[in-house]
Amino acid sequence: MVNYDVFIKDIAPKKFSKRGMIWVSFLVIIIVAGIIAYIDQLLQGQVVTNMRDYVLWGIYISNFVFFVATSFVGSVAVAILRLTNNPWRTPFVRIAEIITVAAIVMAGITIMIDMARPDRLLNLFVHARLQSPITWDVIIIPTYMTISILLLYFPLMPDFALLKKHFEKTKPKWSKWYGKLSLKWTGSKVQKEIQTKSIAIISVMIIPVGLLLQTIDAWLFSTTYRVGWDSTNFAPYFISGAFVAGIGSLVAVIYVVRKAKKLEAYITEYHFDKLGKLLALACLLYIYFNINEYVIPLFNSKKADSEHLQTLFTGDYAFPFWAVTIVGLVLPTLILLFKKGRKPLPMFITSIIVVIGAWWKRYIIVTPTLMHPFLPIQGVPESWHSYFPSLHEWIITSATLAMALLIITLLVRYLPVIPIQRTMDEQELSKTKNQQEL
Amino acid sequence: MKSPGIPYFVVLVLLGTLLSVGFENLHAQDAKKNSVRLKADYFKIMEGEIYLKIKATSKIENQNIEVPNLEITVYNEVNDEEIVIGNAITNNKGESKFIIENLNTITTDSTNTYNLGVSFDGNEAFKRASRSISFKNADIEAKLITKDSINYISATLSDTSADSLLAEKSLVIQVQRLFSPLKIGEEFNFTDENGTIFVPIEDGIPGLDGNLNIEVVLQDSDDYGTVKAIINAPIGKPIVEESTFDQRTLWSPRGKTPIFILFFTGGLIFGTWGIIIYLITNLFKISKN
Repeated sequence: MVNYDVFIKDIAPKKFSKRGMIWVSFLVIIIVAGIIAYIDQLLQGQVVTNMRDYVLWGIYISNFVFFVATSFVGSVAVAILRLTNNPWRTPFVRIAEIITVAAIVMAGITIMIDMARPDRLLNLFVHARLQSPITWDVIIIPTYMTISILLLYFPLMPDFALLKKHFEKTKPKWSKWYGKLSLKWTGSKVQKEIQTKSIAIISVMIIPVGLLLQTIDAWLFSTTYRVGWDSTNFAPYFISGAFVAGIGSLVAVIYVVRKAKKLEAYITEYHFDKLGKLLALACLLYIYFNINEYVIPLFNSKKADSEHLQTLFTGDYAFPFWAVTIVGLVLPTLILLFKKGRKPLPMFITSIIVVIGAWWKRYIIVTPTLMHPFLPIQGVPESWHSYFPSLHEWIITSATLAMALLIITLLVRYLPVIPIQRTMDEQELSKTKNQQEL
Repeated sequence: MKSPGIPYFVVLVLLGTLLSVGFENLHAQDAKKNSVRLKADYFKIMEGEIYLKIKATSKIENQNIEVPNLEITVYNEVNDEEIVIGNAITNNKGESKFIIENLNTITTDSTNTYNLGVSFDGNEAFKRASRSISFKNADIEAKLITKDSINYISATLSDTSADSLLAEKSLVIQVQRLFSPLKIGEEFNFTDENGTIFVPIEDGIPGLDGNLNIEVVLQDSDDYGTVKAIINAPIGKPIVEESTFDQRTLWSPRGKTPIFILFFTGGLIFGTWGIIIYLITNLFKISKN
C-alpha cells in the first residue's frame, strides 16, 4: 500500500537528469541530420534514394509498416486488457498509450517522406477513390491517431488536476499549464460519469479500428498482385506481427522508464512476468502465421513464388530472413517460456531483439518481393536489379525512429507515466474490499 | 623577359587550324555518296484503290537503313519514252504509297502490259536510282454463297485486258484482323479452268456485330502484282463487348465506386468519426461541469 504523498512525489514529472539531457541531445542531433537529408531529398528528388523501377517501396515503407505495427500496442495492452478486466495493466497503460501516439504520428510522417511530391498530399483526399486501399489507409491513419490521442488524454484529466495542486506552490507556472490541460477537472460525479463512459467507448472502439488499421496495412500489399504478397493470410499475419512489435516495444520502454524514473516499487517483476507471458503468446501466434505464410507455399507455389521463397530461404535474403525468424522470433519465445526469462533484464534484452527483428521483418516483407515482378522490367541498368538503402534513406529513417523516441521521451518527461488517480482508486477499492472481507 | 619563340608558335597553331578546316571542306566535297535501292510493288483492291507501294533503302555501314524524305518520280514507259505521271515522298519508314487514280490513263504495250518506272534523281547524300515495274490488269470477282447451311466464298480471277479467265493461279482466303489477317481454308486454293475457286468458310469466326471482312488475294504475282477483293460477310460470331467502362467496379473511377463500398466504407467512416466528435464534445462537457 503506497502513501499518496510519496506516490505523487515519485510519479510527478521531474527535470531531466544529466543522462536524460544527453539522450535528448543525441536524438535531436539525429533528427536534425534527418531533416537536412530530407530537405536534400526534396530539392534533388528521390534520385537520392536507391529506390528505382524494381524496388519502388524501400526502407521508408518498411519503416512505415513497423510504426503502424507498433501503434497496435494501444489496442492490445490498453483496450483488450481493460475489457478483459486485467488490473495488472494499470502501471504501464500510460506508457502503452504514449507509444501508440508516438508510433502512429510517426507512421503518418513516414508515409509522407516516401512521397516524391508531398506538396500533392491534398490530392489524396481531393481525388480519393473509395475502392483503393491507399485511400482507406489515408483515412484510417488520422482516425487511429485521433482515437489514440483521446485514449491518452481522457484518463489524464484527473491526473492533470492532481499535478496542478501538487505544483501549486513549488512550480506555479507548471501548475497553471496542468490546470489548463485538466479542463477544470474537479472530480465531480458528472465529470467522472462522462469520463468513465468516454474511456469505455474509446476502449471498445480502438480494438476494431486498430484491427482495421493493421488489416488495411496488410491489404495495401495483398491487393497488389505480387509474389509473397498475394495472400489471404496477410491481414491476420500482420495483426499477429503487430502484436509482437507492440508488446516488444512496450516492454523495452517500460524497462528504461522504470530504471530512469526509479519506479521499481510500482512496476514490479510481477508485471514483467505478466507482460512476458503476453509477449510469448504474441510470438507463438506470429510463428504460427509465419508457418502458414512460408511453409504452405512450399507445397503449392508456382515458379515465381518458388523463386521468391528460394531467395528468402537460401538466396540473397537468407541471412536476414533466418536471423529475423530464429533470433528475432523463435529464440525470444523460448526465453520467455521460462520464468527466469521473464525477469526485467532478460525481458528487456529479449524485447530489444524482438523489436529489431520486427523492424527487419518488415524489410524482408517489402523488398525481396519487389525483386520478382511478374512482368520483367527491361532496359534498366544492372544496378537497379538489387536494392540497399542509400545514405539519405538511412539517415532519414534513423531520424524518424529518433523522432518517435523523442516524442516518447518528452511525453514521459511531462506526463505522469503511471495513472495517479486510477492507482489511488484501485488501492482504495482493494482496501475497502479487504475490510469487507475481514 | 619575353620568349622570342611564342609569336612563331601562335602563327603555327593558327595556320594549322586553318589548314585542317580547309582539308575538312575538301574531304566533304569528296565524300562518297550512298546508293539507294528502290522497290516498287503493284496493288489493286477491287472497287478500291490501285497503288504502287514504293520503298527506299540504303546500305550504310553494312546495315540496311530506310531512307526518309526522298522525292520519287513515277513515270509511264512508252516506246522508250518516259511520261511522268506523278511524284511521291518517302516517309520515316522509307515508304511511299503512290495512288493511281485511273489505270485507263496509263498506256500499255502491245502485250497489254503496263510498264511503270520509279526514279530518284539523287541528292547530296544519295546517288540517283531507279526501278521498273510491269504488270497486267487482273480482276477478282468474289461472292458469298450459302449452300446446305454452309457458307462458301466463290471467286473468279480474270485478265481484264485479255478478257480471259486465269486458271491454275493460287488465291489466298483470309479474314481481316487487327494486326495481321487470319488465313482460312486450304494453304493453296488453285483456280480451276474457269478461273474459279470455291472455299467453305468455317462457323464461329468472331467479328464485330457478326460481320467478317473476307479477303480473296492473288498475292505478289509476277504478272499481275497483288490483287485483292474484299467481301463483307455477315456470317461471323458477333463479338460481345465485355467492357465494364460504364459499370461500378473496383477499378472504375471514383465517380463509379461500387454502391456496397460507398455504403460500407462511408458507414465506417461516418460512424467512427461520429463517435469521435461525440467524444470531443464530452471534453467540452467535462470542462463546463
